[in-house]
Amino acid sequence: MKASERNPASENTVNIPDTRVLRLRPVHLRKLAAIAEVKGKVLFSKNFIIMPAFSLGFTLLMKVIYGAAAQGEFNTNVYALTLGVLMNICMEGVYCTAAALAEEKEKNTLRTLMTSSVNGLEFFIGSLIPVVLMSTVVNVLCIFIAGFDMGILQWAAFLAVTVACSAISAVIGMIFGIYTKTQVSAGTITTPALLILMMIPLFRGFNDTLEMISEFLFTGIIYNAISNINSSLPVTDVKGIIILAAEFILSVIVFLALYRKNGFER
Amino acid sequence: MNQPYISIRHLSKKFSKDFVLKDVNAELQKGEILGFLGPSGAGKTTTIKILTGQLRPTSGEAEVLGLPCNRIDETIYEQIGIVTDVSGVYERMSVYDNLKYFARLLNVPLKEIDPLLKRIGLYEHRKKPASRLSKGQTQRLILARAVLHEPKILFLDEPTSGLDPSTALEVHKMLLELKNEGMSIFLTTHNMEEATKLCDHVALLNEGVIVEYGTPQEICLKYNKVKKYKVQLTDGTKHFLVQSPEASDQIAQWLCSGIIETIHSCEPTLETVFLEVTGRELQ
Ligand SMILES: Nc1ncnc2c1ncn2[C@@H]1O[C@H](COP(=O)(O)OP(=O)(O)OP(=O)(O)O)[C@@H](O)[C@H]1O
Ligand SMILES: [Mg+2]
Repeated sequence: MKASERNPASENTVNIPDTRVLRLRPVHLRKLAAIAEVKGKVLFSKNFIIMPAFSLGFTLLMKVIYGAAAQGEFNTNVYALTLGVLMNICMEGVYCTAAALAEEKEKNTLRTLMTSSVNGLEFFIGSLIPVVLMSTVVNVLCIFIAGFDMGILQWAAFLAVTVACSAISAVIGMIFGIYTKTQVSAGTITTPALLILMMIPLFRGFNDTLEMISEFLFTGIIYNAISNINSSLPVTDVKGIIILAAEFILSVIVFLALYRKNGFER
Repeated sequence: MNQPYISIRHLSKKFSKDFVLKDVNAELQKGEILGFLGPSGAGKTTTIKILTGQLRPTSGEAEVLGLPCNRIDETIYEQIGIVTDVSGVYERMSVYDNLKYFARLLNVPLKEIDPLLKRIGLYEHRKKPASRLSKGQTQRLILARAVLHEPKILFLDEPTSGLDPSTALEVHKMLLELKNEGMSIFLTTHNMEEATKLCDHVALLNEGVIVEYGTPQEICLKYNKVKKYKVQLTDGTKHFLVQSPEASDQIAQWLCSGIIETIHSCEPTLETVFLEVTGRELQ
């Protein structure tokens, strides 16, 4: 009888339907495809396309600046590529995911979706796919812009590592997205995280603590991967793979814990 | 009788300390329009949110299509359509693409979109981004999206608030058409004319309490304690008579001499009933 006191904690919040609990529900490929397509188009709209365009432009700029500074004495392409890829993975993954989720809340379309038979898992996966795809395409373009030569195996390993990192940062973007209600606040709230994720590997040489953190951070793994490719070493090792897997799982768990409380809204 | 599409029994909802719904009971039968009529803050939106699984009730039960409202899932969402006061459209997407998106999500054949666009009068605007539609056009698009999959129940939260009278009339026409096609509708409104015109049953909601429930006619007749008549005679004079033996004689006499141009009984409206019961205005 008493459907009542079951959920006292969230009394004051406007809950998303029960579908918010990412129970094992069938994920319909038809819905997933529709969501991914619409979400993908959003990434090409003017508020979002700036991010990949910026990463590509920055890679090119760095290649030119570093190249001129080194005057051909040593290969500087690795610096340009590292910056471009780190920037892209963080901005496309974290910012664009968070901002796209915030926009759906701002325009009240998220609630409409969730009450039109889309479940949380479908929305989650459908939102991640285009971000990871876009991020991967930009990473590949960065390689060409930076003028980096790689063998087939290196390509495969590079793609695997960058796809994993893009997925992690997209899930982190989703976590931030839960806390933001507008696109503007998505920008504000994700900026510190973006800077930390990017700067730690870049400044790892400054002190041991940073170096240590960087070793355990997915952006640090990317950093290592690119310098390894540059020195013809294996792209990553078992430790790197374990860290990537662990950080992906961890970010999904954090997301789920937050999502269970209030759905995509807070 | 068949199982009702919606049944609400002893439903209450409390936000922190205050009850915003208190022991609400109502039923929506198949093919009917049920209206919750009440002023701002009465608890209309809260009721819709509970019925559509977006809020949990504090106590009591509500069933939608036989399923308790706290267990509403995708299978129910495939059978209901929802228009809330904050329903959104994808502004960057065209009118057509907005409907196409939901058609794909709800497994509706895409060929059904064009006829629907024609029906809501947005066919010429189908390529426009939704951000460039007028308020009334946006409302029609939202309505079209909600009925795209031919839901069994349509939930409407103040479907015409903020619309100009002629657009509101269009929406009314569409709702009656949908009803004639067999759709059941649950709507909220603070407009008593809308409730009288559209609803088969009305619940008058005041501060979370249903103060009257029935067909609009029943409710009005119940408050028709003092019967009044308005008579216009052929000579142009107007007379206002309160039921009494003298008044009856007078009317009979006019009738016999055939000089009555028009004669009306003056029943109370839902608005006057609401005022009488709660001492509050609706708007
Ligand atoms: N999430 C919430 N937390 C606390 N109080 C709420 C919440 N949502 C609604 N209320 C309160 O519940 C009451 C009923 O609100 P509701 O939105 O259901 O009214 P309504 O009848 O839809 O009014 P309107 O005609 O203005 O839309 C109001 O007093 C409102 O302040
Ligand atoms: Mg309301």
